[in-house]
Amino acid sequence: MTEDLDIKLIKYAQDGLPLTKTPYKDIADGVGMTEEEVIDRLKALLENGKIRRLAASIAHRKIGINSNAMTVWKVSQDKVEEYGKIMAAFEEVTHCYERPTFPGWEYNVFTMIHGYTDEECENVIDSIKEKTGLNDYVMLYSEKEFKKVGVRI
Amino acid sequence: MSLSDTDKKILQRLQSNLPLTHRPFLDLANELGLDEDLVIERIKAMVDGKYVRRLAPIINTQAIGNSATLAAMQVPDDKIDEVAEVINGYSGVSHNYLRKGKNKELPLNIWFTMSAPTQEKLEEYIKEIETRTGFDVRMLPTTKKFKIGVKFKIC
Repeated sequence: MTEDLDIKLIKYAQDGLPLTKTPYKDIADGVGMTEEEVIDRLKALLENGKIRRLAASIAHRKIGINSNAMTVWKVSQDKVEEYGKIMAAFEEVTHCYERPTFPGWEYNVFTMIHGYTDEECENVIDSIKEKTGLNDYVMLYSEKEFKKVGVRI
Repeated sequence: MSLSDTDKKILQRLQSNLPLTHRPFLDLANELGLDEDLVIERIKAMVDGKYVRRLAPIINTQAIGNSATLAAMQVPDDKIDEVAEVINGYSGVSHNYLRKGKNKELPLNIWFTMSAPTQEKLEEYIKEIETRTGFDVRMLPTTKKFKIGVKFKIC
């Protein structure tokens, strides 16, 4: 089945591409496909979004990007779409989602903001506030990293 | 190990899709005006030096059919480490952090993401965490996605 072969390929490659001159050929040899098929499948998986990117996961804290402000915002329902897009447009905002609220928790839009310093993050937050007029938000900085691993299947 | 300017240049480029060609590192090296062997050597060094966690397909688990959620807990200080360890034990947990409100205090302090093959399994694991730790877990799944694109300004 075509789909099973995609999963087989992803599982083989997910822990790291061979760091050789011909990584896709090496993967092909490992999974029993041709190099062309590996490349075609990867292209298709990128196109249909099952693979977000074929790229490096960087240990950002190691290079000094230590400020990680998960900032949660209270946005009225009729503004979520508009403000969500404004927030997402900032380069430093790596993730932007709407999430449910519940009694005692009224923050419905979540933005993940990374920076070398808290100031850098807060400059972005100030810009978001300026563009949206929002003022009900909480900056939840990470204090401790208990676990950070890449997604695997 | 510290990063040279060349390393940073390579690292910045590596955050975007690798060429899907017979010699991707040669093509990438040409883009940057560098030598193929040097690029491969530096990537290896950065992987060994743990600057690069992985150079691999970054999987969208939900597109593959998994269920996922962000989850949060309110845990007293003296229980934080042991609760974190319970959460970490699940292979479907990719991120687990202790967070604190800077401009306002919020009770939820442990935040983690979890993925599982089905919604049922996901909820089963969450209930398990509740039972094992004695604390409630609040699930905060995505209702709308505006952006997911991790790219850092390295150079």
